[in-house]
Amino acid sequence: MISEQQIKSIIDEVIKTLSPGAEGVGGGSHMAPAETMTATTAASQNNQPPEEESFLEDLAAVDLRKELLVPGANNPEMYLKLKETTPARLGIWHCGPRPLTRSLLRFRADHAVAQDAVFTDVSDEFLASIGVETIQSCCRDKDEFLTRPDLGRKLPEDQGKKLQAICPENATVQIYIADGLSSTAVETNAMDTYRALVQGLKGMGIEPNPLFFLRYGRVPSMDVISELITPKITVLLIGERPGLATGESMSCYMAYESSTAQPESNRTVISNIHKGGTPAVEAGAHIAGVVKKMLEQKASGLNLKL
Amino acid sequence: MEDTIVSVGIDIGTSTTQLVFSRLILKNMASLVSVPQIKIMAKEVIFTSEVHQTPLLSATEIDSPAVRAIVEAEYKRAGMTPEHVDTGAVIITGETARKSNASEVLKTLSGLAGEFVVATAGPALESIIAGKGAHADALSRERGAVVANLDIGGGTTNIAVFKNGEVIDTCCMDIGGRLVKFNEKGCVSYSSHKVGQLAQHLGLSLSQMQPLSTQQMQGLAEAMATILAQVLGCEPATELTRIMATDRLLSLDYAIDYISFSGGVAECMNQENSTPYENPLIFGDLGVYLGRALAQSAIGKRYQIVEAEQTIRATVVGAGSHTTSISGSTISYASQALPLQNLPVLKFSAEEEALPYWDWEQAIGKKLHWFALEEEQQVPALAFRGPKAPGFDAIQEIAGAIIRAMGPRLEPGVPLVVVVENDLAKALGQALQAITGPTRLIVCIDAIAVNQGDYIDIGTPVAHGNVVPVIVKTLALGY
Repeated sequence: MISEQQIKSIIDEVIKTLSPGAEGVGGGSHMAPAETMTATTAASQNNQPPEEESFLEDLAAVDLRKELLVPGANNPEMYLKLKETTPARLGIWHCGPRPLTRSLLRFRADHAVAQDAVFTDVSDEFLASIGVETIQSCCRDKDEFLTRPDLGRKLPEDQGKKLQAICPENATVQIYIADGLSSTAVETNAMDTYRALVQGLKGMGIEPNPLFFLRYGRVPSMDVISELITPKITVLLIGERPGLATGESMSCYMAYESSTAQPESNRTVISNIHKGGTPAVEAGAHIAGVVKKMLEQKASGLNLKL
Repeated sequence: MEDTIVSVGIDIGTSTTQLVFSRLILKNMASLVSVPQIKIMAKEVIFTSEVHQTPLLSATEIDSPAVRAIVEAEYKRAGMTPEHVDTGAVIITGETARKSNASEVLKTLSGLAGEFVVATAGPALESIIAGKGAHADALSRERGAVVANLDIGGGTTNIAVFKNGEVIDTCCMDIGGRLVKFNEKGCVSYSSHKVGQLAQHLGLSLSQMQPLSTQQMQGLAEAMATILAQVLGCEPATELTRIMATDRLLSLDYAIDYISFSGGVAECMNQENSTPYENPLIFGDLGVYLGRALAQSAIGKRYQIVEAEQTIRATVVGAGSHTTSISGSTISYASQALPLQNLPVLKFSAEEEALPYWDWEQAIGKKLHWFALEEEQQVPALAFRGPKAPGFDAIQEIAGAIIRAMGPRLEPGVPLVVVVENDLAKALGQALQAITGPTRLIVCIDAIAVNQGDYIDIGTPVAHGNVVPVIVKTLALGY
């Protein structure tokens, strides 16, 4: 299997051969080589020095809700107001089989963002910066994680022991982070949500157990973890499977006395935590309120009255 | 999850007093797996009172016990008691607002209406309420157009201009059907000071008990219609038009697409409708003549006229159905602090908000100082838009700045009130509480847009405590 790095170097080679002076593809860019070429050719015709190429617009950075591609719209303000209410690709001028190049590229860029979110790992720098211990599920690598969902729910014995060493038993609340299907979501949102959640819990006089990170973790891992350290409430912050609207969306799963014997319906979930959905800090404060209700009602999931 | 709010609207106008009960239906629009998002799904008027003549003690005084009797009787007819009512607005509109005992009338009524929120209106709010009651705002949203609604009552004409659903301009003119009153013989029994000035321009004198000829009445009505046409830009505004404005004229830095008319005089505009008014003095005032003059004025020739959904009831429906909005669904509040009434708003300007957070303390302090010079010693609600999806550290910095600036000014027991637009109130409220400790009452709500100079009422929580009803009282638009 060809790694991403190898693909990048091949593209670099091709571009270098076709257009001397070009420095290759940038980190996040997944543009087709032909498109990059057109741009570089145009740049060299304008006699611009090659380093000026960085002017290539990052399409994925444009806020789609603020971009109206319809020329001479009768009431652009109202159109934008409509777009403000939905992530759907409205106002892209051409639709059907012949979209504008810009729309097509954006579509592909968004797809690339989603793929990146799934295939990259939560970085060691990030984990070091938040200073938490990492444990790993039964998956050995990303490929196994993606192809064997059953293994992402389990912990090998040594990792279970490590967990028990980090986290005291019978805590009121245990919070942990897992990469799930979007490392981007975790790196972008998890700490803002976590810190707001902890602030909320402290306001209620609850001191949660130490935070840890589970690599290659899926949602039901919370059952196994809960059986090992038996907290009252387990809270999991996990990256959501990305779509074309955002690759940054995170979910929070919670359960009261979570265990492998409990049905799926005992989990409470809050999804869509990202800057275009529920902002991370606001979600954290809200989760604190939900945890409080779980403790009061000794229930979660469908049994919990919110 | 569905919940309803019952809202009452009471309008005491120059000539008529009315009441409506409305039901606002709240629903959680978010899916089961998201943070709740409670919205007002529908507004329906469930009871409409008779149109009563506003009882007056004299030309300048409202008979407040009589008003109270009317309201009590209508409550009874509707089968309602004050306990049924969650929110609402009593407004004293038109010329009456300048009458001597307006505040006494409000006091008489607020007791009757239980804990609900009472709003006294200024001309800008009256215009907005009438425009919303007439559905001019909804029409402008549906058509993506600029719609001006003229609510022509007995004492004033309130104009509100809406663009894409938002109010962009208001003005109020001393033009109305009941600024001159006649007895059954066509003699002047009352005339306002301003209309006297208008008559003088026409070479008329409106002395008590002097008769006016039909032509003279028509002439007066036509002059009023011409003034309104000038306000709408059909022809250049004259000095007289400026005199007839209570505060200012429309800025007209936009193009009006549609005009709608509401208020009692609008009922007299429709030609077919006016056949029952074969006797133009049926109401003992100038209303029928004014309606006819408006129907034939330059306004209809210049602009497309659309029918308002409410005419004589526009203001009361607006007061009952369109004054209450609801906060965002993730907010923080100390229940003991609610309800809050008539809280002045201290709003951060866009420039102030662009300052780095460590400068906010000083900026808030400066504004508070300036506020204390202008107003009473009441500590205002602090309002700002707030960053979109801020990080945890940003929230802490904002909270710190707010507490450092406002904390020393707050007496113990006085709640700290913060109103923001973007979705961050729960996190911010929690951060504020973390600094102050549990003793300080904090109310921090979002999804509410306010302007400097507004007053705000915050009601007791509804929809399982997720949201609070809010009434924003706009006294002047941020022109």
